[in-house]
Amino acid sequence: MPLQQGSARTRQRTVLLVGIVVLLAALVLAVVLASLLTHGRHEGSPQMLKWKDRGTTRNLQEVILGRCYNYITAHYPELGDKDCLKIWESLKDAFIYKNPCNITAEDYQPLMELASHPVPCNKSLFWSRTGDLAHRYTKSNQNFLTLEDTLLGYMADRISWCGDPSAPGINYESCPKRSECESNPGSVFWKVASKMFAEAACGVVQVMLNGSIEAGAFRSSSIFGSIEVFNLNPDKVSEVHIWLMQDIGGPQSESCSGHSVQRLISILEERNFKIICEDNYRPVQLLQCVHNPDHTDCRLCTNST
Amino acid sequence: KWKGEGTTQNLENIVIGRCYDYIRIVNPAVGEKNCSQIWEAFKNAFTNKDPCSILPGDYELFINLSLHTIPPNKSLFWENNQLLVNSFADRGRRYMSVGDTLFGFLGDFLNWCGQADSPGLDYESCPTTVECENNAVESFWRMASITYAQHSSGVIHVLLNGSAEGGAYPQPGFFADYEIPNFQKDKISQIVIWVVDDIEGPDIDSCGIHSVNTLETRLKTLGYDVTCTDNIK
Repeated sequence: MPLQQGSARTRQRTVLLVGIVVLLAALVLAVVLASLLTHGRHEGSPQMLKWKDRGTTRNLQEVILGRCYNYITAHYPELGDKDCLKIWESLKDAFIYKNPCNITAEDYQPLMELASHPVPCNKSLFWSRTGDLAHRYTKSNQNFLTLEDTLLGYMADRISWCGDPSAPGINYESCPKRSECESNPGSVFWKVASKMFAEAACGVVQVMLNGSIEAGAFRSSSIFGSIEVFNLNPDKVSEVHIWLMQDIGGPQSESCSGHSVQRLISILEERNFKIICEDNYRPVQLLQCVHNPDHTDCRLCTNST
Repeated sequence: KWKGEGTTQNLENIVIGRCYDYIRIVNPAVGEKNCSQIWEAFKNAFTNKDPCSILPGDYELFINLSLHTIPPNKSLFWENNQLLVNSFADRGRRYMSVGDTLFGFLGDFLNWCGQADSPGLDYESCPTTVECENNAVESFWRMASITYAQHSSGVIHVLLNGSAEGGAYPQPGFFADYEIPNFQKDKISQIVIWVVDDIEGPDIDSCGIHSVNTLETRLKTLGYDVTCTDNIK
């Protein structure tokens, strides 16, 4: 009798032990699965590519949409027919789920078609290494427009974006630098947008260059030097005015007679544009003087008065 | 129905977009803000109410959600020269005017109003301040001005237009009625007034005379250390 009771108890104990082990295993499995799933959702999947530059701007959709509506409502009511939602979708489709080193100009074609608009003649202002100053100038003088004052440039200014083949298709952690790959979403966007901005220019165009850079005011490798100069249409553009701006109290590395500027002038003259170059164009220099009012170059009265 | 223009189209998208633009790009130093909540608080301040009975206090929750510190010595007050101020302030990098704070940035250059007994925005027309003072936009800027003044510290700068008809220091005016009374005296070290004439404009007002003198006297009587300069370079 004691033997029978013993074996029944052993069997019970075994069943209990097995049951506990199974429960524990299920629990551990559940915890591991849960952490894997949420881990994946928080940091993008672990397979997302890693790059050296900052990732996609968070809340990209809200920022782009808001800027689009803001631009149309406040700046250019004539563009009232633009569909901001479609514009956002076309921007997203250009890069989402794609390898960010394989972006092409064609990827941006739908966006370019939806968001481009004509620029009035004589108002295009190009710039190279003078972005800050050029934009301060167009803010105070609405007679000129840089690319960043058009709808496309306004939406994309200071923002970054890139995709990744793994879900959710947008990489918020990092994006490729130009040195990592040239055909990245940002670089390709600005190349395509700059080309269109140059093609759209008509009449007299202006370009603001930096005469305080040792490497030269005009560089063939810049977007201006490699894309914009060559996409100005000689049938539409009559003259190019160059404003050579030197930093107040800064190095006077180059002026209109300088080496790289002369090279730019000859490239443009070969394409049949009339060129006028002006050192330290006064209206822009006055803006520089806001930050340097006591410098001799910023005095209101000159010896001639 | 009303004499003023209606609510700006796509107001919600613009305000929410500006909110994210501000916290992600313009001034990320303010940290994380809940932009949807801020929009809701903004909207609830003036919707479903008589558009002539909106008070500055109705924006209190909105202000609480969007408030952030204003760096000392960076406050720039102004009257009648908004474009000059925006250019001079350099988008908050040199100075931070009310339009460079998050709450000011959200409302700048926009227009809005609601209607009684309906949650919607009125896109047809909105009351002007002449028709009724307690309208949505007027009360917004009064609240923004009050808040901006209360949170300003250090050296305070005031940019006035010496060519403005009626004087550089308008009374009534936002600066006179909502900002000066809300300065925190113990946080302010000095008040610097700049009077700038329009290029080729008339020199109607200057330091020491007319309305500017009224302003200088008022501030000195309140106990502030005041300096005034004409046509700063």
